Amino acid sequence: MRPVTHISLVVMLALAPASPAVAQAPPPWKQGQPADLANSTLAPIAQPPGPAAASEIPVDKIKVPRGFKVSLWASGINNARAMVWGDNGTLFVSSRVAGNVYAVLDRGGRREVKVIAKGLNLPNGVAFKDGTLYVAEVSRITKMPGIEAKLDSPPTPEVVYDILPRDLPHGWKYLAFGPDGKLYFNIGAPCNICQPPDTHANISRVNVDGSGFEYVAHGVRNSVGFDWHPVTKELYFATHGRDWLGDDAPSDRLDVAAKKGLHFGFPYCHQGDIPDPDFAQGRSCGEFAPPLLKTGPHVAGNGVQFYTGSTFPPEYRNRIFLAQRGSWNRSEKVGFRVMMVTLRPRDVPKYEVFAEGWLQGDQIWGRPVYTQQMKDGSRLIADDYAGAIYRVAYQP
Amino acid sequence: MGAAAVALLLAAAVAPAADPEAGRRKAQVCAACHGPDGNATIPGTPSLAGQPVFFTHWQLIKYRDGRRKDPQMSPLAEKLDDADMADLAAFYAAQPPRARPAATDAARVAAGRQLAELHHCTSCHRPGLTGQQQAARLAGQDFDYLLRLLRGFKARTASDLDGTMTVATQPLQDDEIVSLVHFLASLGAETRR
Repeated sequence: MRPVTHISLVVMLALAPASPAVAQAPPPWKQGQPADLANSTLAPIAQPPGPAAASEIPVDKIKVPRGFKVSLWASGINNARAMVWGDNGTLFVSSRVAGNVYAVLDRGGRREVKVIAKGLNLPNGVAFKDGTLYVAEVSRITKMPGIEAKLDSPPTPEVVYDILPRDLPHGWKYLAFGPDGKLYFNIGAPCNICQPPDTHANISRVNVDGSGFEYVAHGVRNSVGFDWHPVTKELYFATHGRDWLGDDAPSDRLDVAAKKGLHFGFPYCHQGDIPDPDFAQGRSCGEFAPPLLKTGPHVAGNGVQFYTGSTFPPEYRNRIFLAQRGSWNRSEKVGFRVMMVTLRPRDVPKYEVFAEGWLQGDQIWGRPVYTQQMKDGSRLIADDYAGAIYRVAYQP
Repeated sequence: MGAAAVALLLAAAVAPAADPEAGRRKAQVCAACHGPDGNATIPGTPSLAGQPVFFTHWQLIKYRDGRRKDPQMSPLAEKLDDADMADLAAFYAAQPPRARPAATDAARVAAGRQLAELHHCTSCHRPGLTGQQQAARLAGQDFDYLLRLLRGFKARTASDLDGTMTVATQPLQDDEIVSLVHFLASLGAETRR
């Protein structure tokens, strides 16, 4: 089976209207907006063109639980997103619209930031294995072998897999190695709400050499953050819910894929119990895997990572850190925080705030988007709005 | 260059907030083509006066990164640091824009106005096509420039920040692009047959 084609592009071109009387789909963010919200002024929050200066970043506004301390670990990293460690202690940092991949080196008290790739197509995904950095752009995965020895003269990326859809809406990818050594990534729905092609709205995987493409989870609108439980090795992932169903619906979700091939409901059913007003088409929510946790409407959960360190209090072990980049399609902003999720057998997970303060009243100064654990067990939080990385350490 | 290009930034580096007056001085090198106040007169060269801060700043970043290419702009942008770009963007945003002279056709303008509605241009570029955030001001922009850029987006060769314009232009026929440009160029300008 040739698993992924450029179907949606082909369809789009084939259906291009021949006369101006045919209305075009609105921009992806506005698509699905009902008539009664046509005058809404809600629109996505614009990404600042440059990072904030260190002196302008109000780190003291970030609130964390008692005993934890927050510091500004690195700044000046335009659009800093996902983070992954190299074997020799380099932190690789992705971006989205900035098109860059960065290497951050800890120089004893200060951080040195190098741009190791630029001009890429929404390079949101970074993964690392056996000395090689893997980068996911919209339609391809590339690699840079031996990168940590070549940070000042990075090699041209080599293609691992490049037959992914080229659709830009939800086309950026999270990328991570699963416990099976395969590369996992999302292929998002190319829309806010639509009947996606069979090739879209899923989490997929390939072998490290690009062979053996497989779908792992279906009906996933767009998941740009996932991790595997340290003990059960099950895949946990966050999904952004659709827009324009109102301020309080549907909830974003945190899911667990206990096995391959489950369907999580998009576009028929949202948050496990809201049939889509236009796309449910007689389908029932009961057909689909329900969310493990409703994480709240419009919160935009991105980074999902289990805590496996030993310097946070013992109850933090195997907790999920869920970075929420925050809402735009809601009258009153929500999200802009890092949540923690404590899994409980046969019970709804415990869900509480770990870090917040990027939202002050109706104003935001930052957007936490991914977290990453440091060797010493402390936690890094990347902020793609301020272009900064914070460190949270336990220092009671 | 290329992949070998490495930028070194220090975490402790402190960039000053954008300064439009510094931007005015730094814009002297831009004036020959874009005009002393960002109102260009050379056909094919865009006006920068009244462009949103984020728009100008992002375009400069894209030139410096090599994602947007132009024989004149690319070498200039390579020499700019982040503070230069912020200052230039702040300066141009503060300059009052004047519509470029354009020989627009009334029938085309009317058709273009409908197309702009149909294709949701105002969703991002605002009613009046005055731009906001990272979305450019289009009202009264240079005719030839608009035409070249829209055709470039349609051909998937123009640099696009997040893909929105590439997606938006795919259903457009070339004749529709021409009408849209007549409409955009006519805004705030004298309309004549």
